[in-house]
Amino acid sequence: MARYIIKRLIQGIPLLFIISVVLFALMMSVGDPVATMGGRRVTRADDYERLKRQLGLDKPIYVQYIYWLAGNTWTKTDLNGDGVAETPGTRLGILRGDFGTSLVDRRPVMQVIAERIPNTLILMLSGELIVILGALIVGVYSALRQYSALDHVLTAFSFIGYSMPIFFIALISMFVFSYLFKKWGLPYLPTVGMFDPQAGKTFVQVVYHMILPVISMSVVSLASYSRYIRSTMLDVLNQDYIRTARSKGLPRREVIFVHALKNASLPIATIVGLDLPFLLGGAVVTERIFAWPGMGRLFLDHVNRADTPVVMGSLMLVAVAVIVFQILTDVVYAWLDPRIRYD
Amino acid sequence: MLRKSVAYTIFALLVAASMVLSGCGGTPTVVTQISSGDTPAPSPTPVPEKKVATLIFTQEFDNLAPLYSSMWFVWTTWQMFDHWAWEFDSNNEPFPVLVTEIPTIENGGVSADGKVITMHLRKDLKWSDNVPLTAEDFIFTWQMAVSSQNTVATTYPYDMISTVEAPDPQTVVVTFSEPFAPWLANLWHGILPAHILSPIYQADGTIDNAEWIKRPTVGCGPYNFAEWESGSYARFVRNDNYWGTPAKIDEIFIRFVPDDASQVTALKAGDADLGTFISYSDVPGLQDAGLKIVIEPSGYNEFMFFTLNAQKNNPALQDVRVRKAIALAINRDGINTDLHFGLTKTPASFWDALPYYNNPPLTPYPFDPAQAKTLLDEAGWIDTNGDGVREKDGVKLEISHATTIREDRQDVQAVMQQNLADVGIKLDVNPVDDTLFFASYADNGPAARGEYDIQEWSDGPLFPDPDIYYWLCDQIPTDANPTGENWFYICDEQLDSLIKLQSTQVDPVARQATISKINQLFYEKVYIIGMWQDPDVYALGTRLQNVKFSGVTMFYNIAEWDLVP
Repeated sequence: MARYIIKRLIQGIPLLFIISVVLFALMMSVGDPVATMGGRRVTRADDYERLKRQLGLDKPIYVQYIYWLAGNTWTKTDLNGDGVAETPGTRLGILRGDFGTSLVDRRPVMQVIAERIPNTLILMLSGELIVILGALIVGVYSALRQYSALDHVLTAFSFIGYSMPIFFIALISMFVFSYLFKKWGLPYLPTVGMFDPQAGKTFVQVVYHMILPVISMSVVSLASYSRYIRSTMLDVLNQDYIRTARSKGLPRREVIFVHALKNASLPIATIVGLDLPFLLGGAVVTERIFAWPGMGRLFLDHVNRADTPVVMGSLMLVAVAVIVFQILTDVVYAWLDPRIRYD
Repeated sequence: MLRKSVAYTIFALLVAASMVLSGCGGTPTVVTQISSGDTPAPSPTPVPEKKVATLIFTQEFDNLAPLYSSMWFVWTTWQMFDHWAWEFDSNNEPFPVLVTEIPTIENGGVSADGKVITMHLRKDLKWSDNVPLTAEDFIFTWQMAVSSQNTVATTYPYDMISTVEAPDPQTVVVTFSEPFAPWLANLWHGILPAHILSPIYQADGTIDNAEWIKRPTVGCGPYNFAEWESGSYARFVRNDNYWGTPAKIDEIFIRFVPDDASQVTALKAGDADLGTFISYSDVPGLQDAGLKIVIEPSGYNEFMFFTLNAQKNNPALQDVRVRKAIALAINRDGINTDLHFGLTKTPASFWDALPYYNNPPLTPYPFDPAQAKTLLDEAGWIDTNGDGVREKDGVKLEISHATTIREDRQDVQAVMQQNLADVGIKLDVNPVDDTLFFASYADNGPAARGEYDIQEWSDGPLFPDPDIYYWLCDQIPTDANPTGENWFYICDEQLDSLIKLQSTQVDPVARQATISKINQLFYEKVYIIGMWQDPDVYALGTRLQNVKFSGVTMFYNIAEWDLVP
């Protein structure tokens, strides 16, 4: 297994290189970061040329990529525009752990990303936890009570949940549980942000403020996951070995949760394994609507400003996570199904 | 079983760690006055709850340090923690802040040739760390603005200055190489603390990486910058060392909420005391919820700009009669009444928000389809084949129009299309994503390239200065001059000479006379059609009192704001 993991990790290196080249090229076509630096007006011509030069954006794309990848400490930059490169480069490049500096707020990219990751994880992991647990309960129940009244009700709600876009759920829930509930004198939830400034950023405040965003982002996934679990559970429950287990007189609970659910979990593990790395990417829509300072908003805000260093940093983080979680998923496969061997 | 429990434990720890990292970081400082005595009071009196005003900004700062941003939201926030030398009141008139009086020719502050500005600073100025604020700080600010080692957002207008001198700690003498009229509107928006940044500049050769540039905790305004959590909020607490009258509110909490609908719901739910850049369509709902709406002229107007590039655009637009017919054919008052709920008005001039320069005041062309048809007939544009579209010399009167995908703009496009069809003009509407629409000439941006016959966006002079340098002929973009800003491709020699003249006229009366001529010329030649005045719309909660806004910024009297229960 260890050999397999090392082999997969080594295979990931050229993959990451190709991903970085493609993403960098795409970012170059997103827009011009300097064009938006003029505030309400177009950036003045003199400032435009100066900033392009100072930020290294006047270089050909491949040079900019090399600087991003390997830094520019071996070269000099012409900061004063006299045509003579006089200032030594200071960028180390991601190969040396330097993801660069944001073009928007001029802070190190790793610092910008590090500030957002906890906020995203708290939201996304909570959401994922609710989705997995909720989907397991609903999916298993629906499979065991197929075509019962409650199964029909849950199926109907699943389709409704799956059909509604997240922004709609988010805005409606905010309007109802924050505005209308307050208006009606009922206990209400906060609208935006992570805490009430009067109370300060406490643990309780953060939990209180994440209720609506977590519920909003969970509804769609809960609906789809529960349908999937229902389907896989039904498949497994009709297998011969389940019938054998039952005929051997094993307790119902053991048959369902040890024999059926464990085997039904294989395809579910695939979905969860694919989902987990994207938790780092955040929930773009949910974070925007609830003003939650996570990775999704970071990505959106900085794409809009064509901030290549931050966007590349975010995307490469997700790319690395995808590769790592794919390997972890394979490991979990082997754990769930002893027949699977990688060595 | 053991492995399962390990997995669950790891997962639980991840959630818990995230919550701890999120919940426990950056706990706000409680602003309370603490007695210097060691003995606690025997019967503690209840500490009054601190006054915290929550403001919503729809855009987040890019950088809070003066010189390092051109964002309007940042400019206005500087006034909270780092005063401008002079600021602008609700009539958009300058009033002295760091200086004792506004320099003028009459008081000797502006030299007769308009090249030298002499400013006298207040003697009681000090930074929040108790260091005196002097003329040296002004000199340092200028030096940093023009240093090639600093990646400031703009060097303008500091690059027009040849020297800044300090005969004494309270006197600043600014000398321009040429007379420079727009100095009053553009100079000294935020001052850099030399005592903090100068040693760093001496050591590093740049202030780009200075901690103060990222966290300007020392300032000279009524509030101190406390913290800024990216993507979430920024906090400003009252400056207890402020040289002026102390602020009434303890803390200003600015929350960044990018979604308009979320901002509206937060305001209605009472989760914020002030909302910014409210959409016209949200105004009635907010008023119904008890919020006060303030509409402040911003200096910007929504304009349709004719693009007169003979090689690219419809030749019909070269004829002023056709341009005037288009102005007469569009029911602009109707658009303002029906689509903007009567909250906006039709502008007549580039300088609607600067009445001093829109003098004598112009009146917008009326909605008069009959006169529009007459003008088009006179110009030789006739519908000969009865297809509803006029033509001349084999060219159809089909006009392309582009603007951004903003909802109200698309609604207006539909109205204009119908209005113009009624007089025999076919309008081809093109809503374009704003990032693509405003891309640079080098990136083939359609607006910069003048791809459409009529291009629409919100624009204005360098408010509160009346300058419109970007209409100059040498601002027309070309491959050799890709950063040109004259995206209208109009080179009018008379206009060109007048714009150049006004930029050198430091005498306000003489400048007003020149702007008046430009104003009239714009009107007669119909280079632009004003669609609506584009004010800044604010929503105020009931707790917030004494709030005044300027068209220039929103915090000029922030120290006087108050909160009532």
